[in-house]
Amino acid sequence: MISYGSYLLISAFLFVIGLIIMMARKNIVAILLGIEFILNSAALSFVTYSKFITKNLDGHIFALFIIVIAAAEAAVGLAIIIRFFQIKETIHIDEATELRN
Amino acid sequence: MLFLNVLFGVSAVLTIASSLLCVFTKNIMHACVYLLGALLGVAGLYMTLGADFVAVTQIMVYVGGIVILMLFAVMLTGGKEFVSKAQKLLNLVPLMGNKWTFLIASLASLVFAGVTVQLYFKLPEFFKTVDNTEFSSTVDELGKLLITDHLLAFELSSVLLLGALVGAAIIARPRKEEVK
Repeated sequence: MISYGSYLLISAFLFVIGLIIMMARKNIVAILLGIEFILNSAALSFVTYSKFITKNLDGHIFALFIIVIAAAEAAVGLAIIIRFFQIKETIHIDEATELRN
Repeated sequence: MLFLNVLFGVSAVLTIASSLLCVFTKNIMHACVYLLGALLGVAGLYMTLGADFVAVTQIMVYVGGIVILMLFAVMLTGGKEFVSKAQKLLNLVPLMGNKWTFLIASLASLVFAGVTVQLYFKLPEFFKTVDNTEFSSTVDELGKLLITDHLLAFELSSVLLLGALVGAAIIARPRKEEVK
């Protein structure tokens, strides 16, 4: 069987990858992509703990709700990106300097 | 047993390789496709944990929904890559942005190394495994939990999804004065 820590290591790895993408990229779509990585790492941690520690299905429920919230967040975020592109004609994050157009 | 180990190995390699490629690629379109690989790898990891319903939901919602949505957003917004015009030396390093973001990314990698060391040496249960390889379906258990213990969260998530749908439609719609 595969050990408990290997899942946690993969989860931490995904979190750091998401963090690096969020900080290093200048494209707003890429920043959303980093957020997806971070949400996935959290869900993976929940399912791992539910398998190895609590041994019930509550972690699975949390993972499902994380997926739901990620879907909602992606829909709204991409709508904001498309609106931003209509106004500024770029999706560079440094162009987003004011709240109203 | 062997099947589980093979599935775990393939999924872990797929996840880690895809996420690394996602960081190092310069094209945002390719990054979205690599995200797809990483999400499929995580779904495989869910399978090895016995979470069949979560794995299938992951594939359906993420791979079928979110990645496609992102690809649409990339295509609608031009899909150009933003290569930094700054320093030539930093352009060789395949991280986008300026030296500060590069510095912060290095710090994050250091933090990850620290977490790894902590996990490896301090966590007493690091090598703990669960021996039962007899997985049963979790679908009926999850269904019962969703309509008993977690009913409020379940209903609230439907309201959240409706709000997100309406909000996304309103935000992305062009304003009247711009149409002319």
